[in-house]
Amino acid sequence: MSLLEGPLWPYLLVILAGFLPTEIFRSLAVFFARGLDEDSEILIFVRGVATALLAAVIARLVLFPSGDLLSLPLALRVGAVALGFAVFLLARRSVFLGILAGEALIIAGAWYGQSSS
Amino acid sequence: MVAATSIQGWVLFATFIGFGGLIRDLNFPLGAAVLSTFLIWAMPAQVLLVSGWAAGNAAAVIALAVGLSSVRMFPMTASLMPYLRPKRGGVFVQLLAAHFVAVTAWVEGSKRLPHMHKDRRVPFFFGMGMALVGLSTVSTLVGYELAGTLPHALATGLLFLTPISFLLQMSSNARDIVDKAALAFGLGFAPVFAEIGGQLDMLWTGLAGGSAAWLLHRILKRRKK
Repeated sequence: MSLLEGPLWPYLLVILAGFLPTEIFRSLAVFFARGLDEDSEILIFVRGVATALLAAVIARLVLFPSGDLLSLPLALRVGAVALGFAVFLLARRSVFLGILAGEALIIAGAWYGQSSS
Repeated sequence: MVAATSIQGWVLFATFIGFGGLIRDLNFPLGAAVLSTFLIWAMPAQVLLVSGWAAGNAAAVIALAVGLSSVRMFPMTASLMPYLRPKRGGVFVQLLAAHFVAVTAWVEGSKRLPHMHKDRRVPFFFGMGMALVGLSTVSTLVGYELAGTLPHALATGLLFLTPISFLLQMSSNARDIVDKAALAFGLGFAPVFAEIGGQLDMLWTGLAGGSAAWLLHRILKRRKK
């Protein structure tokens, strides 16, 4: 039995195809940021890119979800985000209440959708 | 420790419960999944790896997909590093600290590190990172055991927890115009680049949204002078 089929293969795969291609970008960033001041323009730009990237990740999770979330209509998913954000703003920027409101709509929608189908 | 037990800690708990369920579905060994949490420490990369393995993809193909999804670690790590400069140990300690950078640690770190005394930042970050990794490992085991037993409505709610909590946490943390604008541009550009950006759509969204936010910041700064 070769290493490629053996029981150790998933572990090797984690190191070679998971750890290395991820850690390289963290390590490169350490050398890139050496000597840069926390208020430097280049780091403000980099912070903007990181924030926009995460916003894209959030949008993807809502627009193109996986698993059980896929069973809910797009309008309900987007609506729950909008409701959560509105409650967050109205409740004096309470992250907790915003999450609660969005989640309540999603869980109610999943519950109702299941019992009606 | 306080940071690790905050809302983001609960979200991480829920996310890794989902991961535990996924690996059980795919028959990925639990030990290798725990190793992936310790070594990779990036949920999208871990999901790509285990689903690539289950699909029988070649290692090089999986490595490429993981690498593309992990490019975002570069701006995230670079923007935190100026706050993580230890007195001793230099670059080695920084490389270790960088390993803990992932969405959760970045969100909490960007919020807390700037207001901390210089001497407290590095110990705080290591403490938080290790607490989060430990919590995630426990959640993976819980999710592995619970797999398939959760009601549909609850499983749906768990999946929605990640996007809604990250959006609200990032909105609440946004300090300057560049943070707020990047968040808004990123959300607005994402569907556009998802249509035209191909495999690298999130990277393009990040670059375009970040550039637009930075330009806005420059224009407003110049006006103030």
